[in-house]
Amino acid sequence: MASEVSTFTTPIADAPLARRFSPAWRLALLAAGGLVGVLGLTLAVSWVMGVGSWGVNIPFVWGFDLTNYAWWIGIANGASLFAAILVLRRHSLRTAVNRFAEAVALSGAICAGLFPIIHLGRPWLFYWVFPYPATYEVWPQFRSTLTWDLWGILTHIIVLGLLWYVGLIPDFATMRDRARSSRRQRIYGILALGWRNSVRHWSYHQTAYRLVAVLVLPLLTMMQSIVALEFATTLVPDWHETRLPLHFVATGLAQGLAIVLLVAALLRWGLSLEQHIDDRDLDLLGKLVLASALVAGYLMLDEVAAAYLSEPSEWTATRNRITGEYAGYFLAALVFSVVVPQLLWFRAARVSVLAAAYVGVSVSLGVWFDRFSIVIGGAQRDYLPSMWRSYAPTLVETGLLVGTVGLFAALLLLFVRFVPAVSMFETRHDEHEDRA
Amino acid sequence: MAAHSPRPESSPDDIAWEGAPRLWRSLEECAEAPDVRGRFAAEFPEAVQGWTIDRRNCLRLMAASLALAGVGCDRNRGGVGAPLFSQPRGTPGHTPGMPLFFATSLELDGYGRGVLVKTQDGRPIKIEGNPLHPASLGATDPFLQAEVLSLYDPSRSPGPTEGGEARDWNTVGPFLWALRDDFVASEGRGLAVLMQPVASPTRDRLTTALRAMLPEARWHSFAPITDHNRRAGAELAFGRAVEPIYDLTSADVILTLGGDLFASEPGHLRYAADYQARRRAAPRPLPRLIAVESTPSLVGSRADERIALRPRDMEWFARGLAAAFGVSVAAPGETHSAVPRLAAQLRRAGSRGIVSAGREQPAAVHALAYAINDRIGAAGSTVRLIEPLRPGGDELASMRALSEVIARGEVFRLLILGGNPAYDAPADLDFAELIRRVPLSVHLGYGRNETAAACRWHIPQCHALEAFGDLRAFDGTVGLCQPATARLAPSLSIDELLGALVAEGTDGRALLAKAWRGAWGDHDFEGRFMRAVEEGVVSDTASPSVDVSVRTDWDQGPRPSDGKGSIDIVFAPDASMWDGRYASNGWLQELPKPLTKQVWGNAALISPDTAERQKLRTGDVIEIAADGRTIAAPVWVLPGQAPDTLTLPLGYGRSMAGALGSGIGFDGYRLRGSREPWMTAGEIRSIGRREALVTTQQHHSMHGRAIVRTVPAESQSLPAPPPQPSLYPEWPYEGHAWGMAIDLDACIGCNACVIACQAENNVAVVGPEQVARGREMHWLRVDRYYAARPEDPRTYFQPVPCMHCENAPCEVVCPVNATVHSSEGLNDMVYNRCIGTRTCSNNCPYKVRRFNFLDYQSAAYAASDEVMNPQVTVRDRGVMEKCTYCVQRIAAARIEAGIENRRVKDGEIVTACQQACPTQAIVFGDVNDPASRVRELKRSARNYALLGELNTRPRTSYLARIEAPPEEGRG
Repeated sequence: MASEVSTFTTPIADAPLARRFSPAWRLALLAAGGLVGVLGLTLAVSWVMGVGSWGVNIPFVWGFDLTNYAWWIGIANGASLFAAILVLRRHSLRTAVNRFAEAVALSGAICAGLFPIIHLGRPWLFYWVFPYPATYEVWPQFRSTLTWDLWGILTHIIVLGLLWYVGLIPDFATMRDRARSSRRQRIYGILALGWRNSVRHWSYHQTAYRLVAVLVLPLLTMMQSIVALEFATTLVPDWHETRLPLHFVATGLAQGLAIVLLVAALLRWGLSLEQHIDDRDLDLLGKLVLASALVAGYLMLDEVAAAYLSEPSEWTATRNRITGEYAGYFLAALVFSVVVPQLLWFRAARVSVLAAAYVGVSVSLGVWFDRFSIVIGGAQRDYLPSMWRSYAPTLVETGLLVGTVGLFAALLLLFVRFVPAVSMFETRHDEHEDRA
Repeated sequence: MAAHSPRPESSPDDIAWEGAPRLWRSLEECAEAPDVRGRFAAEFPEAVQGWTIDRRNCLRLMAASLALAGVGCDRNRGGVGAPLFSQPRGTPGHTPGMPLFFATSLELDGYGRGVLVKTQDGRPIKIEGNPLHPASLGATDPFLQAEVLSLYDPSRSPGPTEGGEARDWNTVGPFLWALRDDFVASEGRGLAVLMQPVASPTRDRLTTALRAMLPEARWHSFAPITDHNRRAGAELAFGRAVEPIYDLTSADVILTLGGDLFASEPGHLRYAADYQARRRAAPRPLPRLIAVESTPSLVGSRADERIALRPRDMEWFARGLAAAFGVSVAAPGETHSAVPRLAAQLRRAGSRGIVSAGREQPAAVHALAYAINDRIGAAGSTVRLIEPLRPGGDELASMRALSEVIARGEVFRLLILGGNPAYDAPADLDFAELIRRVPLSVHLGYGRNETAAACRWHIPQCHALEAFGDLRAFDGTVGLCQPATARLAPSLSIDELLGALVAEGTDGRALLAKAWRGAWGDHDFEGRFMRAVEEGVVSDTASPSVDVSVRTDWDQGPRPSDGKGSIDIVFAPDASMWDGRYASNGWLQELPKPLTKQVWGNAALISPDTAERQKLRTGDVIEIAADGRTIAAPVWVLPGQAPDTLTLPLGYGRSMAGALGSGIGFDGYRLRGSREPWMTAGEIRSIGRREALVTTQQHHSMHGRAIVRTVPAESQSLPAPPPQPSLYPEWPYEGHAWGMAIDLDACIGCNACVIACQAENNVAVVGPEQVARGREMHWLRVDRYYAARPEDPRTYFQPVPCMHCENAPCEVVCPVNATVHSSEGLNDMVYNRCIGTRTCSNNCPYKVRRFNFLDYQSAAYAASDEVMNPQVTVRDRGVMEKCTYCVQRIAAARIEAGIENRRVKDGEIVTACQQACPTQAIVFGDVNDPASRVRELKRSARNYALLGELNTRPRTSYLARIEAPPEEGRG
């Protein structure tokens, strides 16, 4: 059966099975690895010296840490929502991109998961957030959004991991069958969980895959909402808004889609997978990014309008966010995540790899600026003017951001190296359907 | 019995015969019996086998030896660990672990201020005011609070030096004896002694004795914060020197001409307390406080009316005012527009009026103030004149004379006892260089400072908390000083060195006792002396008033303006450094100055419109030129500063103040001349450089929010707040419910509470870089807001500790329950549980939570371990902290009450901030107690909750400040 379709899936399986990889890949991994080194260094500094090595202060007790966290969560969320919908709707596009989408989501979640731990004053005690039976019977505060956040991010990583892994099982089996060395055979064999390609296996697999995909859906709104609630439940005037979860979900979706678009474009270009990620796929993705950017734009305008109509302290805070010291970040958010995607109104831009990459990076940057604008700009004007201050990140914080980007890139590079980047069984399925 | 002939020397063994009952005299003897031994061996086999060394025994022995080693090595036994002299206050006898209080007096500006030093196991850890002392009444200022940190100053002199080389203490004795013999032989020829003028009977006695011994010696006195103008003014007005004392408790109108009655004048703590007592003296109408000044001060901030005048106009203003009272002054000319109105108010007040003049004002202004007081009848009523307390005459003339004789080469021996003239002497004298010209110069000083470096010999001086002595308060009352600790390093006090020179020995107590034995006689001397030491105050020693009358022909008219510069320059003691002596004190370096909130540095204060005209912003460095000298200093644009006036806070720019205090700020002394030490004129120009000045408050307006509220004097009530809905039922507090009320009408912004809190609660010093990042750790901050125009602002102070909200927003957001509510309504912080998410601070609308971003308590600026209060946890890195309402004091009182089987009484628990406050603006207590003071204050119509609209229901509430009605004719 495998031999029949080898013409279609061989390039996909070839990549993980190749003994050597292209110099470009090696170079890219080297660069990403360097950034992972920066991440390691900055993590070590933060751990040993404390968060005092960052620019955080009172009242900006959170700076880059939560900005980056919310941003990475957005990437993970958008990508996983996309992947889940594809699986559930059995959309033709899923063949091409849902494996990347899953990988993007998982890598994003891993990058995000670093921040809640390293941002603690005493990170080695992070496990105190777990409800374990401590000697003094002190339990976590279940009313705290940070406790919810712990469960949120844990669930997120587990479910995304499952989604990604369950989807991979048949392909791991293919890899096992095609592996040239016994060591690889054994590793892929273990990962394939004894997959024998029986109809019963296929039936169970489909059920499990779709079940996990369904689980992803509520998780998405939940995860972004929890991050948003960490801000919205406080008394900080600019944060204390019921609209904030919606804002986080919607902008996060735009960001996630943009990242998927970016990765799809890069894969198509880098691994020559034009056959699998065709113009129609890019076109569809582009339309989705454009639509979600429009929603994000609407929400940003809505925020200004809502703040204008609310209490003076809230209007002062929001006005300061838009026009004050950090106004540039709000403006950048608007331009990068709403204005730039308008390019995608043109079909030429939608099917262009370059434009896709450009818009993907732009939206993602824009959402980072949006998170910064909320976390920092939003906290600048609270109740007592005597404590109004400014925040500026240090090298260590910047290193953490750059380092997680490196980690993200490295994870994706390793993904395309060792795991089939496009779902082989789905591709085969498509091919069979086409022939029939 | 007779059948046997017992021998007298019989032993128990001898009288034991076959079949006889065994007799024994001790249990040990009994146990030696074979049958007993057998039974014993059956019961305790190991004991019979003997003490064999097995593993367990070995470990046991090792553990016991280690434990005993720790017990045995108490280096403090008989020294620091035991009360040294007086019957300790508080507890009868010394219970280990319980604090002891020693009464003593600490000097500032030559006057004594009575304090109680709290020592814990021999370590002084906290200073409180002495309620019996007239200059304190139980209150303190930041300097008094911070003195305990100076005691443990790591930069204090570790030992004597000669020519910069360390010398053994054994060499000092022979050196001093040789020096003394040398002095005696030459009758002091070629010897000059320089001391700071200090009102101390014992020192007076010793210097008099030494002067008699060495008739040829020259005696000079100098302190940079000189009160000469006050004395010269009295000499002008009365023909003789007197010092004024004001009675603010009975004053109706107080007009201050410069100076700061609440912060820097002698007796300022008492004046602040008295003024507030007067304000509280209902039903009398509120007193009226008018401040005429060049630089915003605490008294100006509190004043009902404030007039900003250039220094050169102060005398003109005073002349106009005096003329309005018919004081015959030469050429009054045109007067200030406010003069008729103010004169009318003073006239109405009559003998209940006060006109005071600040130490920086020229002698003529002081003379005019004396004359006006005399004319309105205040002299003898609200203004009392006493014999001058500070010894010495014109200190600047004395310093000039000393410089001249050194320059002429007539001084071979120079003794500098205390002070730091190489740093703070007028710049035109170049005194450090002159010291180096003297063949043999000896410096007695607490640190190896600039003067120590210039002198041939340096001998360490002991800290005031280590020495006996006596000091007169601003009103003449004598306070005795006693050590609160054994000397932490070998050192001498000034009295002891003088004692050595007059051959009375170096026993400080004996020197002190001798002075008082002379005054009191031998009858019950020890008892009387002990009582005085214990109380810290010698009763009935306040100076009597002197009877003087104002001369009629004293006025020679205004000095012609020399017009040497367009910018008036005023020098001022710094609010944190005073004259520079506290440079190595981290608490004071990091204490936000009352008005600028600047820390770790000083700046030249300039008015907003002058700054605008000169295109200067805060932080721009200018070059200041006056009297042929120039210095560079950053400017600070200060609302309320008089136009074209530059105020230079002294006390910074130290070069040898230890690792912590050197090289901070600019040195104003380098511009200060010996002719006009307080006011001069010069020019400024921007040099196009900027300096980062560190401040803890960057926004100064309330932005129309009801943060500091005010009420008019007539109604004195705020509208009732709207009820706050809640889904939850009210939480009942059955026992105590602690609360605090802060009276904004009383707060003068003096910062005593800030340092008191820091000392009590082991609050870390973080250093300028961290403060610049916004990470200062003060649990209690004093916010300062401005209202109205920048040229003529209203200034409001608001101390902000933790509010201990009943609906505490911080509590619900902590994921690990590290901040929780106590059964008595405290918002407790559990340091051990905190993992440092900082989300509590996010949700605190008051931003009173402080985070240990780094390991501050073991970083470079950390205070010494010895000064730490053992009742309070020292917080680690990564932990949130905040005001606890001094929970350790609450616990102590609760335990005390529990032992005595009663409820905690109102007033028994005094928080550190409350205790330090000179105006009693802070009241703490049980709001469940219907008779408590705090409850009474919270029932006041002036009571309001800060940000009450957020429904946090803070336990700390504020009493609105009372605003005086605008006086008629005021524009």
